[in-house]
Amino acid sequence: MPISSQSFIRATILLLVAGCVSVLAIVVAAIWIAGRNDTQADDLVDSLLARREAFQVLNLILDAETGQRGYLLTHDEAYLQPYTEAVAKVDSTIAKLREIERTQPRYAAAIETLAARISEKLAELARTVEVAKAGRFDEAIAVVRTGRGKALMDDVRSASDVLIGATDTLVRTNTAALRESARLLVWVLAAGGFVILGVVGATSWTAWRYTRDLEMARGELIAFNATLEARVRDRTADVARANEEIQRFAYIVSHDLRSPLVNIMGFTSELQAGLTSVRSLLDRAPASDDDRVAGEARAAVDAEMPEAIQFIRSSTSKMDRLINAILKLSREGQRKLAPVHVRMSPIFEAARDSVQHQLAEAGAELTIVDPIPDLVTDRLSVEQIFGNIIDNAVKYLDHGRAGRIVVRGREMPLGIEFEVEDNGRGIAPHDLDRIFDLFRRAGAQDRSGEGIGLSHVRALVRGLGGTISVRSELNVGTTFSVRLPRILVPTSEGEVS
Amino acid sequence: MNAAGRAVKIVMIEDDEGHARLIERNIRRAGVNNEIVPFADGTSALTYLFGEDASGVAVNGRPLLILLDLNLPDMSGVDILTKVKANPHTKMSPVVILTTTDDEREIQRCYDLGANVYITKPVEYENFANAIRQLGLFLSVMQVAEAP
Repeated sequence: MPISSQSFIRATILLLVAGCVSVLAIVVAAIWIAGRNDTQADDLVDSLLARREAFQVLNLILDAETGQRGYLLTHDEAYLQPYTEAVAKVDSTIAKLREIERTQPRYAAAIETLAARISEKLAELARTVEVAKAGRFDEAIAVVRTGRGKALMDDVRSASDVLIGATDTLVRTNTAALRESARLLVWVLAAGGFVILGVVGATSWTAWRYTRDLEMARGELIAFNATLEARVRDRTADVARANEEIQRFAYIVSHDLRSPLVNIMGFTSELQAGLTSVRSLLDRAPASDDDRVAGEARAAVDAEMPEAIQFIRSSTSKMDRLINAILKLSREGQRKLAPVHVRMSPIFEAARDSVQHQLAEAGAELTIVDPIPDLVTDRLSVEQIFGNIIDNAVKYLDHGRAGRIVVRGREMPLGIEFEVEDNGRGIAPHDLDRIFDLFRRAGAQDRSGEGIGLSHVRALVRGLGGTISVRSELNVGTTFSVRLPRILVPTSEGEVS
Repeated sequence: MNAAGRAVKIVMIEDDEGHARLIERNIRRAGVNNEIVPFADGTSALTYLFGEDASGVAVNGRPLLILLDLNLPDMSGVDILTKVKANPHTKMSPVVILTTTDDEREIQRCYDLGANVYITKPVEYENFANAIRQLGLFLSVMQVAEAP
């Protein structure tokens, strides 16, 4: 199925959008995963710190207890050193834990419990050490013996275990989550990559198919063009043949029509000659007034028969003129065209010179708008074409206003267009089609003519491979446009004489 | 040769009866009394001109004036003109072309083929009659030339 350019554009846009969406999805997913990783990593670090501090504080408390016990046993102040060092550090360790607690509220309960247990334990240790320092060692040992110190210590240990347990859980889950995130990222990237690869593939495929279709269409077009030229050649040859036949037909008809005319005219003259002798005879024997037959014969010879002969003659003459016109047209069509370089301005100037007298008489002027493009064509044909058109323009000027005829020519995509514009009497719209027909004339019949000029002009224009058209408005003016090819290519067929 | 044998015969090849009649009348009116042999088609005219064997030998030396129409039902007058002017026995006979055509190229072709006079049959009868009468003049000149 061939891809239309519209569906190609649609598919390309769709694929482009899909590509953009997948790239965007990858970016968004990566950012989201990275953000999640970030908090998870922060949590992880905090938890590890909390774990360390929890161990640390436990060790400090153990150190403090060890120092207390050593001092109580030995009464030697030197054993008290671990105790004092540990007590001094506990506060800062607790502070560190509280700092973590600010960002990790999940450990708040555990840390506060631990801190409370520790302060209770430290209070117990401090009391025994104070009692011992006062020299009442037995009393201090008695306090130890109550087991409260141990119980407190156990509390501290369990509170610390809770905290460490909590951090352990978080470290485990977060580590797993981070690993999961990394895996997810790989998947997202892989999927995105696949989608983009698919989009690129689909785009390339569509473009390739579209190009192939275009290439095929171009090939078809070239082939079609080739056959078209052949077809046009065939048709042109057909038309030329048909045209030739019509011309031959016109030629034969006009010849054969003339033969009987010669007879009609000839024998009419014979009749007339005979009539003259009859009249002489009648003149010699004048009839008496009451001879009715002789009177009728006299009237026939003097008036009726000469009138009849006159009508026969004028009709035959008219018919002869019409036949001559057809003959002229058909000869014109058979004339071999000789393309030469024709400078058009002198052609129009010559046409103007030949109507100079009529122009002056009508007080009209004819303007040739320079420059007028030149042609390679048959000189005689263009002379006759524009001679006729300009003749008509002058002939049918409106005497109610100053005549103005303008001739111009300009380059068109397919040849040169010449215009002869006048401000004459114009042609009625219903007559526009008839004016090019043989023997048809339009408007007031106050000018002599057979109705041949324009039909001759059209035949000539067609012979040169051109077209002629007219636009006109009654009482405003008429413009004839003749479009001719820049270079006339003579037909290869021989002309028939 | 006797006078009758030497008299120029006018061979008129014209398919239109009316034209033939008009031509004959005008020739007579011009005072030419030579025998006119009319033919309405090309084939019978050729038989007369060149004999049965179409060689022209049988009719050698016969003084003829040929009036020839170009549009004949069975052939073109041009064919007859070509044959007459190509045959050594007939080529001396003057040929007058009578036709409705005033096509210059056709006229030229006829002259090129050896036609002596070309007369178009105009519808204006007077011109035609005049042309035929001049033919009578032409004929009398010819007869003078033929005289011993």
